[in-house]
Amino acid sequence: MATPPAATATNSAPTPPKPPYKAPPFSQPPSTAGAGKTETPAASTSTAAAAVVAAVAATGAAAEEPSYIITVPSYSAWFSYDSVSDTERRLMPEFFQGEAAAASGSRGPEAYKYYRDTLVKRFRVRPERRLTLTEARRGLIGDIGSVRRVFDFLEEWGLINYGVSLPGVKQGRDKREEPVAPQSSLPAGVSAPKKLCIGCRTVCGQAYFTCEKADITICCRCYVRANYRPGLTPADFKKVETSEDAKSDWTDKETLHLLEAVMQYGEDWKKISEHVGSRSEKDCIARLLRLPFGEQFMGPKEDKMQFETDDDITDESRAEISKRVRLTPLADASNPIMAQVAFLSAIVGSDVATAAAQAAISAQSQVDETNDSPADSSIGSPKEEVSSAESCYTNGFSANDLLKEASANARVQLEKERKDIEQSLSDIVDVQMKEIQAKICRFEQKELLMEKERQQLHYLQKLLFADQLAVVQHQCRPHAVTAENEADENPKPVLTS
Amino acid sequence: KFRMPTRDNLVPIRVDVEVDGQRYRDAFTWNPRDPDSEIISFAKRTAKDLKLPASFVPQMLQSIQGQLAEFRSYEGQEMQIKEKIMPLKIDLRVNNTLVRDQFLWDIGNLDSDPEEFARTLCDDLNITDPEVGPAIAVSIREQLYEIASQSVSAMREAKVSKKRRAPEFASNSKAMNNAVDMFKYFGSKGSVIRKRKEWYLYAPVVDVVPNEEVVVVDTTE
Repeated sequence: MATPPAATATNSAPTPPKPPYKAPPFSQPPSTAGAGKTETPAASTSTAAAAVVAAVAATGAAAEEPSYIITVPSYSAWFSYDSVSDTERRLMPEFFQGEAAAASGSRGPEAYKYYRDTLVKRFRVRPERRLTLTEARRGLIGDIGSVRRVFDFLEEWGLINYGVSLPGVKQGRDKREEPVAPQSSLPAGVSAPKKLCIGCRTVCGQAYFTCEKADITICCRCYVRANYRPGLTPADFKKVETSEDAKSDWTDKETLHLLEAVMQYGEDWKKISEHVGSRSEKDCIARLLRLPFGEQFMGPKEDKMQFETDDDITDESRAEISKRVRLTPLADASNPIMAQVAFLSAIVGSDVATAAAQAAISAQSQVDETNDSPADSSIGSPKEEVSSAESCYTNGFSANDLLKEASANARVQLEKERKDIEQSLSDIVDVQMKEIQAKICRFEQKELLMEKERQQLHYLQKLLFADQLAVVQHQCRPHAVTAENEADENPKPVLTS
Repeated sequence: KFRMPTRDNLVPIRVDVEVDGQRYRDAFTWNPRDPDSEIISFAKRTAKDLKLPASFVPQMLQSIQGQLAEFRSYEGQEMQIKEKIMPLKIDLRVNNTLVRDQFLWDIGNLDSDPEEFARTLCDDLNITDPEVGPAIAVSIREQLYEIASQSVSAMREAKVSKKRRAPEFASNSKAMNNAVDMFKYFGSKGSVIRKRKEWYLYAPVVDVVPNEEVVVVDTTE
């Protein structure tokens, strides 16, 4: 279950009833399109962008399509395991300011880093699964309040539970109005009534489950997550497939008509649907795609799929197409969107995937040029599709330039990295030398001290000797000479006597 | 002057709620400075995350609030803080891991940190289950809380009865029995290094229990 159509509530999660964060002027991820970007989570609802940007590692995508997928704010280019960025310092002051934080214990920067790193690592181990606070805090040593705040912060900024569908029931309750509106505006070309899931209020995809007892329809996801009334058991539900063909079977005749029409009219879907008869344009396209050889026909047309709205397949192609290939070293394979892309491109075949990618790049550059909100792509009329498809192709060559530029950039950065490394190596060596020098100094000082002490001891010895001499002289004058000699040899016996 | 004798004034909370045959047991640390609204949202969130029915929430709430109220009732009162070394014990089972340990802790040290101790212990003993750490920290805090509250009640007794000296000694001796007399160790005849024959007493023991035994123990509990 790749794209989460049930992610309706994610839009609301990043817009909590907290005061919106002051928009920090943090560096935006370089390759993301200008349109459709949001800086703060609170502003996410305002984007109506339809351009979807590929997410690599920590970068997020801003995407909204007319129907289900919800805007996720762009964010988090600043995240790195090695350090705490300014964004975090600003937004989580309890760990970084105040006398409690200075104690650097359970309240300090190290604690924040420990919580954050553990939470992110834990999520990334199973990125398709939602990490709950309870599960997370059970593995974290610290007080609940702080853990919860870090967890919420990370979730809001998409470093945790990004792209994972949320449990529909409780959280979606007051947000039902939002997804209902876009779904009611499904384009008129829908051939059969779509099944709406009671649990998460999204359109059920391939299959859904019905329950006779309560006359409820839920989608697969809700079924698996047991997102239905407590009184029902999994056994009460029956699975129903909803493939396009099942809705109304394509007879051979219709398929034949379709093929004829395609051969005859090429890309004019209106005429094709007329020729076929009682099939809408979308149905025809979908059916053609489903045919084993449909890809041959659909190669050049796939970029038009981004303007389709309700078909599952078209969803996938759109998601695939509109993602931009980012040339960064941070290719995190656990990222859900990249995994999707990999999966889809594996399915579809390399030729189609490259064609799609090319078209996507050219479309993206087009968007960049016009700097318009990519609401263009939501226009669905066939004629515009055709013309834009053509213009997409002529722009395809700019892809090469982009790639060259990108590789040059990469090389420059490599150089910089090398220089940095050398610099830091020499710094380290310097520091070591200084350490050794300091040690040598200290040892010299100690030697001096020892010398002094030794001299003092000698001096004392001599004094002692002189004293003894005096005593002996005093005691036995006649024996002074011999006593002296004795004293010379062994002072001790003289003393004890 | 009452407070937890640790660097962070955090309260150990233990919750054990049973509703309709479902049991929820948990232990964690709470910051008493967090507002009470946090308790409610925490209880709700936990119930939702664990897919517990909503009937759990009021009982959880009651339990947590009760323990916090008890902690707060101690807060205004006087407590004796002086260097006193007490042995603390850890004896717990978390999922498949058993930990048994005994160590000396200075309850007069207001900079001590049970969380750091728990973290270090888990790292040093290579305990892979991340849930063990918090359990250890909570266990230590509970023992410290116990000692601190005893000290408060001792002070109260001392104040109530006019004869200051005798009761102090008498009530302190309860705790003193456990406290280690450092003179024995640091006197002229003693040595700081623990006698070899006592090493086994103070060595931590970590056992990993196979799943069948866990099931058995859970059902007996």
